[in-house]
Amino acid sequence: MDENTVVNGAKQYIVVKLDNEQYGIDISFIDNIVRLQQITRVPKAQYYFEGVINLRGEIIPVMSLRNKFDLEAKEHSNSTRIIIVKPENNAKIGVLVDEVREVVTLEEDSIEKVDYDEQGMNLVGVGKYNNTLISLLNIQGIIQELDV
Amino acid sequence: MDLSQYLEIFIDETKEHLQTLNDQVLILESEPDNIDTVNEIFRAAHSLKGMAGTMGFKRMQRLTHDMENVFSEVRNGKMSVTPDLVDAVFKCLDAVEEYLSCIVSSSDEGDNDNEDVIAALNACLETDGGSSIVDAVMETAVTKKEEVTSGEDKRKFLHIGIADFEKNAITEAKAKNMNVYGVTVYIDENCILKAARAFLVFKGLESVGEIIKSVPGVQDIEDEKFDFDFSMIVISSKPIEAVKKVITNVSEIKEVVLEEYEIPSDVEVVSSVQVEKKDENEKKEDLKKKTSAPAKSGGKPVANRSVRVDIEKLDVLMNLVSELIIAKNGLVSVSNQEDSKTSMQSFNEQIEYLERVTTNLHESVMKVRMVPIESVVNRFPRMIRDLSKKLGKDMELIMTGEDTELDRTVIDEIGDPLMHMLRNSADHGLESTIDRLKLGKPQVGTILLNAYQDGNNVTIEVEDDGKGIDVEKVKASAIEKGHITEEQAEMMSEKEAVELLFRPAFSTAEKISDVSGRGVGLDVVKNKIEGLGGDVEVSTKLGEGTKFTIRLPLTLAIIQALMVEVRNEKYAIPLNSIVTIEDILVSDIKYVQQKEVINLRGTVIPLVRLDEMLDCPPREDEPENLVVVIVKKGDKQTGLVIDNLLGQQEIVIKPLGKYINIHRMISGATILGDGEVALIIDSNSLV
Repeated sequence: MDENTVVNGAKQYIVVKLDNEQYGIDISFIDNIVRLQQITRVPKAQYYFEGVINLRGEIIPVMSLRNKFDLEAKEHSNSTRIIIVKPENNAKIGVLVDEVREVVTLEEDSIEKVDYDEQGMNLVGVGKYNNTLISLLNIQGIIQELDV
Repeated sequence: MDLSQYLEIFIDETKEHLQTLNDQVLILESEPDNIDTVNEIFRAAHSLKGMAGTMGFKRMQRLTHDMENVFSEVRNGKMSVTPDLVDAVFKCLDAVEEYLSCIVSSSDEGDNDNEDVIAALNACLETDGGSSIVDAVMETAVTKKEEVTSGEDKRKFLHIGIADFEKNAITEAKAKNMNVYGVTVYIDENCILKAARAFLVFKGLESVGEIIKSVPGVQDIEDEKFDFDFSMIVISSKPIEAVKKVITNVSEIKEVVLEEYEIPSDVEVVSSVQVEKKDENEKKEDLKKKTSAPAKSGGKPVANRSVRVDIEKLDVLMNLVSELIIAKNGLVSVSNQEDSKTSMQSFNEQIEYLERVTTNLHESVMKVRMVPIESVVNRFPRMIRDLSKKLGKDMELIMTGEDTELDRTVIDEIGDPLMHMLRNSADHGLESTIDRLKLGKPQVGTILLNAYQDGNNVTIEVEDDGKGIDVEKVKASAIEKGHITEEQAEMMSEKEAVELLFRPAFSTAEKISDVSGRGVGLDVVKNKIEGLGGDVEVSTKLGEGTKFTIRLPLTLAIIQALMVEVRNEKYAIPLNSIVTIEDILVSDIKYVQQKEVINLRGTVIPLVRLDEMLDCPPREDEPENLVVVIVKKGDKQTGLVIDNLLGQQEIVIKPLGKYINIHRMISGATILGDGEVALIIDSNSLV
């Protein structure tokens, strides 16, 4: 088996940065991470969509986590990345983040569930790792809200 | 024997025959004496029966057999065509269709015996002096049974002529205490590869002994020059059961007659004839179950979607592909040239060549995918006939332009919406027969279905000469259902009011019938058609009729488009909707109801500022000239104001992906030569 399979209860997350906060995305949803490329604006789409990109012949919508979380807009930099998330088969969505840091493995007991969160359905919990906190994103939740 | 490889052909052909039957029976209903039609029906029914039998679909075979009987009587002039008979036959066709859809989904015909349909068919036979045929059928059945029971006749090996040297071999074997058996093998009549089965029998027997003679000869058997049985004389040291087992292990063997063989000049053998028909049958059943089980477990339809392609079209494709390869080689050789000046020139030549080839290739592939609309609409006459009976209205369907071709993907999707619209016309559109007479209209209501190609679009019109749409009633109903307020209703133009019909959960029928009126209606139709990149329009005249016009693109995948620039963004406008491109002076813009219009050669055309529609940042200084692309939808025109023209290009339409909300005016996206994404403007939504 490959190293992605981890012992029961533990999950791997990709840690990304927005401003000073760290967010974790469940690695099982992630298809790909690509550098920033030209994004074509799509008029009248939801405000948090930056537009669409061409990923090897496939057109993929890209949302900005900054816009989604109502953070201040920031110029894209050299470390900006688009994480291609695949919440379901045959449907991909790009998530624009400031920086991709590392992959961490979190045991179930190091994750604290959040009952309430101010941003609605966006988080599934907060993970503790090396004295830092990682907000774990609820990919399904973010996507579902998009459907509304 | 695994028949799944033939299943697709079977399904295709059964569909064809069913369609022929439906068409012909409809003709027969109006012209009961048309003997050509009867012959045609008889032939189709006969082929259906044969095919069902070959594939082992017993119930279907039985049903079609009964239908064939009926038409055989009609053909012989012993019966006349009555409405009852036509009804029974239609029921029978429906039942066959049901079997077929079962087969398509699970490769099994299901277990509906359709006794009532068979009874109805037989009732037709009996009431009309057709009893003789029933007797005849019974008789043949009885004789068949007799045949089966008399094992004596089955020992065909007794008639094998034996030459002297063979006689010697037999006596020699007997002297060595070897067993000599006479064998007659009956192969299942449904077996398709008789020779292969026979070969397996031979191979099996050779493993346990020696075949000294077979009738017909080995060569003939290999060439399939035999009916369903063959006989052999075998020498073996094994006991009789072991030999028999070897043969029965081969599938699709109906029956094996095997016994000790004595040279005919000796006393006649009457002893233990082993007829193992029953066992055999059971075994066969087991086998059948085994083969059908894995096919079922998948749960997916067994039949793939397929298109029959004219071999000529394939040849053209093949030629174009070879040209493509030549073009590629040309480019390779150009890149190897050293002289940059000549290489540039030949490079351009090659690009032009390549362009020509790809355009042709695109056209040919499109042609391969094109299917005449006939394959969808040909089931409608039957449907209208049934509706006519059900609703008690006299009506007829007139279809024109069935040979209009559309892309296969569109064809697959368009059937349901069209059916819906026809039902709609039949149920809501046309008045009842009594009302029609009162109004002085012809007693028989007419529904027209007309299809034709119009540029890069195909237009399908569904028109009825019924009561038309009562705009006031529609408005009232919309207010009652809370779709609009009364003020809105007052303001509405007739056209807008008719558009209300396409809102979800909107039906003006007072009564809910099982034909239509359940509120899932025109909105579904509209969605579906818009999903295909087309649009629907209604025009109606109270008391005179309603006309639905559906416009569909010829293809969905590749289109010619005009590339334009708005600020620094690139957009594609489908070429087929563009009328002209105009350069106008800002001072020529007039205002009508605070909306910008231009007067272009006598026509007043409203202007749409694409930059505003697309939320682009405003221009700093308004130029004196504007580039306007005039687009049309039906007879309406609109001018789209853009910044720059980039040129014409062939583009591949791609979806924008899930999750992102897309405004109606954007129909998709395409990838440009440099990898950039450009959005495609759906000009229809802006007109």
